[in-house]
Amino acid sequence: MTGNPPPDEVLGIEDLHVTVHDGAATAVRGVTLSVRTGEIVGLVGESGSGKTLTCRAALGVLPPGCDIRHGRIAFGHQDVTDLSRRGWERLHGTGMGAVFQDPTSYLNPNLTVGGQLAEVLRVKQKLRRHQAHRKAIGLFTAVGLHNPGHVFHQIPSELSGGMLQRVMIAIAISCDPRLLIADEATTALDVTIQAEVIELLRELRDQRGLAVLFVSHDLAVIRELCDRVVVFYAGEVVETGPVEQIIERPRHPYTQALLRVASVGDFQRRQLEVIPGQPPRVGEETTGCRFAERCPAAVPKCLAGPVDLSTLAPGHHARCIRATDPELALITAGQSAAGQSAAAAEMAAR
Amino acid sequence: MTAQATQARPLLAVEGLDVVLGHGWQANHVLSDVNLKIWPGEIVGLVGETGSGKTTLARTVVGLIRPRNGRIVFDGAEISRLRGGARRRERRSGHVQLIFQDPLRSLDPDLTVAQIVGEGLAIRGGIGSQEIRSRVEDALAKVGLDSTVLYRQPGQISGGQRQRVSIARALASDPSLLLCDEPVSALDASNRNYILRLLSELRDTLDLPIIIISHDLSSLAGIADRAVVLYRGRIVEDGPVSQVFSAPRHPYTALLMASAPSVKHDRSLSVQQLRRTAADPPSPSAPSACVFAARCPFAIDSCAEQPALVPVAPDWSAACHRHEEWAGLARSRTSAARKG
Repeated sequence: MTGNPPPDEVLGIEDLHVTVHDGAATAVRGVTLSVRTGEIVGLVGESGSGKTLTCRAALGVLPPGCDIRHGRIAFGHQDVTDLSRRGWERLHGTGMGAVFQDPTSYLNPNLTVGGQLAEVLRVKQKLRRHQAHRKAIGLFTAVGLHNPGHVFHQIPSELSGGMLQRVMIAIAISCDPRLLIADEATTALDVTIQAEVIELLRELRDQRGLAVLFVSHDLAVIRELCDRVVVFYAGEVVETGPVEQIIERPRHPYTQALLRVASVGDFQRRQLEVIPGQPPRVGEETTGCRFAERCPAAVPKCLAGPVDLSTLAPGHHARCIRATDPELALITAGQSAAGQSAAAAEMAAR
Repeated sequence: MTAQATQARPLLAVEGLDVVLGHGWQANHVLSDVNLKIWPGEIVGLVGETGSGKTTLARTVVGLIRPRNGRIVFDGAEISRLRGGARRRERRSGHVQLIFQDPLRSLDPDLTVAQIVGEGLAIRGGIGSQEIRSRVEDALAKVGLDSTVLYRQPGQISGGQRQRVSIARALASDPSLLLCDEPVSALDASNRNYILRLLSELRDTLDLPIIIISHDLSSLAGIADRAVVLYRGRIVEDGPVSQVFSAPRHPYTALLMASAPSVKHDRSLSVQQLRRTAADPPSPSAPSACVFAARCPFAIDSCAEQPALVPVAPDWSAACHRHEEWAGLARSRTSAARKG
């Protein structure tokens, strides 16, 4: 994970620490990740685990009160950690695009969607009105909107959620960015539409070599779309690796728990599992592993000191002292069978 | 269903329901000829995409929307015909309770949890404040919350706790039927499973029938007994959840199943086999055509007439002219187009 970045790296984040509440608490703790050209990297974790803050730091749009305390963000080998506002503006659209969960809150409800896309093209690419119009129609076609000439003149309330998300993607890719950051971009969509948007992102990657940082709390979606996964827990990366390895052979107990509770897509009646306990609150300091309190395989040594990411296979890392312990999988699987009712009681008592 | 065998009368019967929202040229036919029965003690999952009428159906059942045609019979009484005082009394009785998707927006941010849960009882009248207090605590206990949250506001508790508060609010009035509109969409996987388990337990302990509206098919499969699939205002399939989800009889249900993201990859049919392509013959476009015809790759001339919901197996019905043939046709469609 250290050393020189690969030559085709688009986004490189190294040891990122982000503080919230004007520095009172640290919400992102030493996150390192990289996205290469044509690669789709998934960020997964519970709400409040620091996925969105990491994305916003990478986009240079941290909310007020949040600061990068430590670490480095590189975009195409350019250090953008302390980039000026002007610098970020140059990068937005042309270097990186973003799509968020709720398209309606990012589009002006009173303007036509085509006009809003054309505006971006005129400002960012200095296109003339008719050139912008023509390119906008082309982009709407590229994201699979039927009858783009008609859609151009519609306002957001006349379009469905899936169509609006396509408009957002069209705007995000309008100036040929190298990186697309999609934060819960398919969460609010119907499954049929979600499947279409996932296909669209895959096509854009194949055709344009677009790099995508895809945030979702749904492991099944990540499984469908991504090449690599980064699992977040309480502000830290706890496991990262190729998607098949993470899904088939998760090594961190948290990833294992996440997979058990995820909608695994077997449409059978089954015991719905929960992860007992709560993650540490943002800014809550712990000694040792941050998952230890909820971990069925925790031993006293887990709390002895900070746990580092260890390499299990090339490109597969986990932040667990027992990651290579053959007993670990047995313990967590056994916990899943026996301890679930106890877990429910404990949750109820909380 | 064993419930159907032993119980002569369904708790809720929706018959021939038509709902039109808006007037004149803006009139929008949201529900057409919806027939649905809910039996005591069963969990029914209502699935369908945005705009299919799931929420409208729920709102019509609780009396927030007046249907144009059709009857809603609850526990033997036709509640859709009630007007004025009788209607108000029925609503305030709290027999049917609705739980909304986003608890942060559906709970008043200025009220405390105690006030939120007790508000319905206070409005109903005739119940002393001591009694309300004890029923509030009872309801909170049923959803696994203790009295420490009583004086907190919705903004001060976690998302999972908030949804439990809205369930407690519904339980406080001792309902006979619970309708949950996307109860877990705003929650992450662990909290989602916790809430679904809670609903399942409530069904078991209180024998409370529950209708869950959700687009998360996999979690529904975990707890529901029956699945009802809506498409553009019509029920296209209705049957036991395990059978409907494993071998759907309507091509739309199959498309939903194939589209659902999955950690495993063991689908019988791929999305590509179920989606219309440019190569397919044009589908009937008559106004009376099957609602799904425009998206259906198996549409033929007879699909110009909306098919009725007919039994295809015991306790299982589907509204498709070709419910016996399409699955075979789908399998023979270009499996070359299948993707990993």
